[in-house]
Amino acid sequence: MAFLEIEGLSAYYGKARALHNVDITVEKGEIVAIIGANGAGKSTLLDSIIGLTSIRGDVRLDGDSLTGLASSAIVERGVGYAPERFNLFPYMSVLDNLMVGAYTARHDTERNLELVFDLFPRLAERRNQETYTQSGGERQMVSLGRALMTNPSLILVDEPTIGLAPKVCLDIAAALNRLNQENGLTILITEQNANFAMSLASHLHILETGEVRMSGSAEELGANPELKKAYFGNTHGP
Amino acid sequence: MSQIIIQGLLLSGLYALIAVGFTLIFSIGRVLNLAYGAYLMIGGYVYYHVTQVLDMPQLVGILLAVVFGCGVGVLKYTLLVKPLKGDHVAVEISTLILAVVIQAGIVLVFNDSSKILHPIVPGVWRVGGATVTFNILTAALASWAILIGLYLFVRNTHIGRAMQAVSMDTKGAAISGVDPDRINLITWGISGGLGAIAGVFFASYTQLNPSMWVAPLIIAVAVVIVGGIGSIIGTLIVAHIIGFMEIISTTLIAAELRGVFTMLLIIGVLVMRPRGLFGREEL
Repeated sequence: MAFLEIEGLSAYYGKARALHNVDITVEKGEIVAIIGANGAGKSTLLDSIIGLTSIRGDVRLDGDSLTGLASSAIVERGVGYAPERFNLFPYMSVLDNLMVGAYTARHDTERNLELVFDLFPRLAERRNQETYTQSGGERQMVSLGRALMTNPSLILVDEPTIGLAPKVCLDIAAALNRLNQENGLTILITEQNANFAMSLASHLHILETGEVRMSGSAEELGANPELKKAYFGNTHGP
Repeated sequence: MSQIIIQGLLLSGLYALIAVGFTLIFSIGRVLNLAYGAYLMIGGYVYYHVTQVLDMPQLVGILLAVVFGCGVGVLKYTLLVKPLKGDHVAVEISTLILAVVIQAGIVLVFNDSSKILHPIVPGVWRVGGATVTFNILTAALASWAILIGLYLFVRNTHIGRAMQAVSMDTKGAAISGVDPDRINLITWGISGGLGAIAGVFFASYTQLNPSMWVAPLIIAVAVVIVGGIGSIIGTLIVAHIIGFMEIISTTLIAAELRGVFTMLLIIGVLVMRPRGLFGREEL
């Protein structure tokens, strides 16, 4: 039994189907990446795991079904989410944004805050700054930090490098690697930047128009000439 | 002059208390709760019934008024607002209808004659040429205490931060583990309680009658439109603008003008600055 099991997942926006029969598993302590172009359904997939869309199929975490639960209950069961658009609270300080993340994990606030500030020292320096005044990179850090404050065992990260400078992308990659290796966090990440995803993930899935088109290890997918041309064209890395 | 300053400060404190429960709801759901004035009426009538009909202590009257206000707020959210979620016009129309229904209920139970509440604290205080009733002084001090308490609650508690979070980004709040429905329910309850206690003070300052919900509703709507934001500090500032404007116009021009300048201010802000004086850009 895998840690996260997504089985026969279809998601809908009204009558429009955004995901079709998606099967994905993530083992405990693994980093898995979903690669796809704009509109492939990457964000919908993560939204569906955390209960923000209406779905068919099943999502299980450590054997327990998450299907039909409210997002807040899914977060409480150990799923953290750093969405593509951050969805931060713009007129609240960095610290208050992080404290909202501690809503269901109040007893671990101090420990988690220490982890976040250790991972992103810039946030500690700017803890009193309102987030609407921050750069994209800083907001990404707050978004990841807020997800970590929920005390997750699995973290969903939606396109963390989009619109960020290469140096910031490297910082984010280092932070995710550290969380995975030192804290044993399981990570499911989506990316358009396939090289960034390959540098992190042990296993990747290619998502196209709401369906998983291909799955495999970084080596397997990197060796496929068609995929290499379509997704791994940029050899300069993040 | 000192009369204007003192009366202005006291009235503004009361107006801030009247408006703050309304702005909380506006802040969290961007909805104008047009039944808000009815909370004040319920608070006033419950207090009247408990203290002047049942002859129970004032504190019991205030507590029961708050309990009734909270209850009506929670029921309104559960039975009306939640099922109509997302449709602001439907919510606003139904809250207005509810206010009229509550008015009819009050007439049925208490009849339509006006009732005078005994002052919560009797007596007057003469200071600097001005005469201040202890009643309005108590109302203003209680307003300040409640507003400071509410400010500290919203800034420093998990539920308060969650209320701010839901008001700024519902999805962001949900993925942080906050249940937006529960926070809405709590906010509607708090709003009802605040409205009810404001109603006790407002009724003791004016009088009780079944159409008394209109005047405080106009004050609350004015604060939201003029301020343009559901913050407690913003509410306080705009309540003072409106309170002082009203005292100045009624003292220096004509008592009949009470409320007229507030209306003109609403129209002026809607035309000149629809976002409100302190409205923030949507991000």
